Amino acid sequence: MSRSDMSALPDAVFRSRPALGLPLLVSEISVLFRRRRTWAMLASLALIPVLIALAVRLTSSRPPSGRGPAFLDQVSQNGLFVSFVGLLVSVPLFLPLTVGVVAGDTIAGEASAGTLRYLLIAPAGRTRLLIVKYLATAVFCVAATLAVAIAGALIGVALFPIGPVTLLSGDSIAVGDSIVRSLLIAAYITVSLLGLSAIGLFISTMTDVPVGAMATTIVLSVVSQVLDSLPQLDWLHPWLFSHYWLGFADLLRQPISWDSFGSNALLQSGYIVVFGALAFGRFTTKDILS
Amino acid sequence: MRIHPKTSMKRVPVDSRTNDGDMQRTIGNAEYFRNVVLCALYRTRKVANMSRTWLKWMPAVVVPVLIASAAVAVPFAANAAVTLPTKTPAQVLALIAGEKVTALSGTLSQTSSLGLPELPTTGADASSGSALELLTGSHTARVFVDGTAKQRVQVLDRMAERDLVRNGSDVWLYDSKKKTAVHSTLGERALGTSKPEGSIPTPDQLAATLLKSVDSTTIVSLGSDLRVAGRAAYNLVLTPKVSESLLGSVSIAVDSETGLPLSVELFARSQTTPAFSVGFSKLDLGTPDASLFTFTPPAGAKVTEKAPKADSTRPTAPRSPAEKPTISGTGWDSIVAIPVDTSAAGKKSLSVTSSPLFGKLTTNVTGGHLFHTSLVNILLTDDGRIFAGSVPVAKLQAAATAK
Repeated sequence: MSRSDMSALPDAVFRSRPALGLPLLVSEISVLFRRRRTWAMLASLALIPVLIALAVRLTSSRPPSGRGPAFLDQVSQNGLFVSFVGLLVSVPLFLPLTVGVVAGDTIAGEASAGTLRYLLIAPAGRTRLLIVKYLATAVFCVAATLAVAIAGALIGVALFPIGPVTLLSGDSIAVGDSIVRSLLIAAYITVSLLGLSAIGLFISTMTDVPVGAMATTIVLSVVSQVLDSLPQLDWLHPWLFSHYWLGFADLLRQPISWDSFGSNALLQSGYIVVFGALAFGRFTTKDILS
Repeated sequence: MRIHPKTSMKRVPVDSRTNDGDMQRTIGNAEYFRNVVLCALYRTRKVANMSRTWLKWMPAVVVPVLIASAAVAVPFAANAAVTLPTKTPAQVLALIAGEKVTALSGTLSQTSSLGLPELPTTGADASSGSALELLTGSHTARVFVDGTAKQRVQVLDRMAERDLVRNGSDVWLYDSKKKTAVHSTLGERALGTSKPEGSIPTPDQLAATLLKSVDSTTIVSLGSDLRVAGRAAYNLVLTPKVSESLLGSVSIAVDSETGLPLSVELFARSQTTPAFSVGFSKLDLGTPDASLFTFTPPAGAKVTEKAPKADSTRPTAPRSPAEKPTISGTGWDSIVAIPVDTSAAGKKSLSVTSSPLFGKLTTNVTGGHLFHTSLVNILLTDDGRIFAGSVPVAKLQAAATAK
């Protein structure tokens, strides 16, 4: 839709245009969280720590230390570790998977459902729609991470004893402190997923087939992690968006090492700006046919 | 005179015709002009639309360019414009000798590219923790020092950490992966002098070792000043005079304020990237928090008590001269020869040669197996002796056959 079409609309429409697009954001988020798919994804994410906790609880033998994912051997002594293990396990695949689905669906989903042009006829500029779509994806990132962390904490409290948490450095911190650290880790992982969301948003503006955008986003997250594990490409590693994904362990050291948090935030903001600009270029110039 | 239009028209038909023609042409011109204006307007609008399209892609072009230029400019700017008062190499050596840093907290990064095959690091649990790990790849450690008796070294692995905490004579080694804590007490003699063996050498320890071997066979010079961990530093370069050493040069960055070595880089001969480097990426000379040096093993960790070092590791009886490692040659060219070890530990180390990794890392040469890196050659002879040195293989073989 071009600008001349917009001028055909009565002035009242323009006057009633909200300044910040806040109602649009609210409606977008409510649409996202009214979908059964979103809840199914959040529920399956929450199931990961629950399954881990049940597996540890039901098997009598303690897992030998040094095998399986990190922290797993501590779960039986301290329930607070369930959410750490859950986050650790879901970072490489499950979280990118769900975020890829939501981010890939943003524009392509509207286009395939034929609702994109109605969204644009309603007084929502393309740029604003793009920003609102991205923010809704970011909200999903927060929700997805918290789903794992909170489900892990709850099942841990229910099944295992709770006590001071042993950090990687060997020091122990109180339960209250450990909750703060869990929230910091959740924040770290949310930030980690924002770059992928921006990539997904851009891919979503390129196609009218949401499944294609979702699959491409998820595949890219896997490709990035594979490249990150090849030592021959170490010059490329600091530029890969998945490079710091597992760096949240630095928040479990004493004193907290903020280096990877800072580098991660910088890297992800770079991805957001670059792919945000690409998505803006693509979405504001493309012909909306559906 | 009043002329009726009709009569006038009748009177001058030719004129009227010409008038008519003029009028027609005028109309044609107006239409033409209107078309031209419309066309021009249309074209400007179209161009404007096109340039608007182009403008919308602008951020996508500009942002990566900005990021790329920042990625180039920031490290460049950090290194540029370091101008320190001129000093002679001797003055810089004196600066190192007068170093009085008692407290620091910093982050060390260590990288090795010794020409060994690199193993892929996959997943969250890829830290090897073996003796070989210092030889490949890169590592990060945090170091906290308060005085001579309080130290903490944290080797940061992925999802794991190895800690060395020393407080007075108490030394704790904690491994978060194995969940083991080893406590040992330093003997009176060792107090204050010895440093507990960490898995990453700090730049000042390494520099001290290297500077010990500075003698007449070494050229000491100064490179251009640089910035390490945000601090201006002199660049002390040691170059072996002898041409046979595998070691090309050593460059030590010396903090201009305190004389603390901030980084050490070892260059193999004719290589531009360091074969081994260790240096601070972050350094704070304030006193670290005292609670960092009090260590209580966490619940669930396996605690073992290790007898004081002097009793356990050193055999009570002095070694016979035949068992002692001998050093031949001088300076950078020296060769360390370790004779056949008949003790139990020696047999254990010999069993290493049967492991498949050993076969991958060594090559068969006349007289034994060669473990080759760009800095050091180690020859394990068939009869169990070990010759090591920063020299070509032929010299090691010559040393082995000389005995």
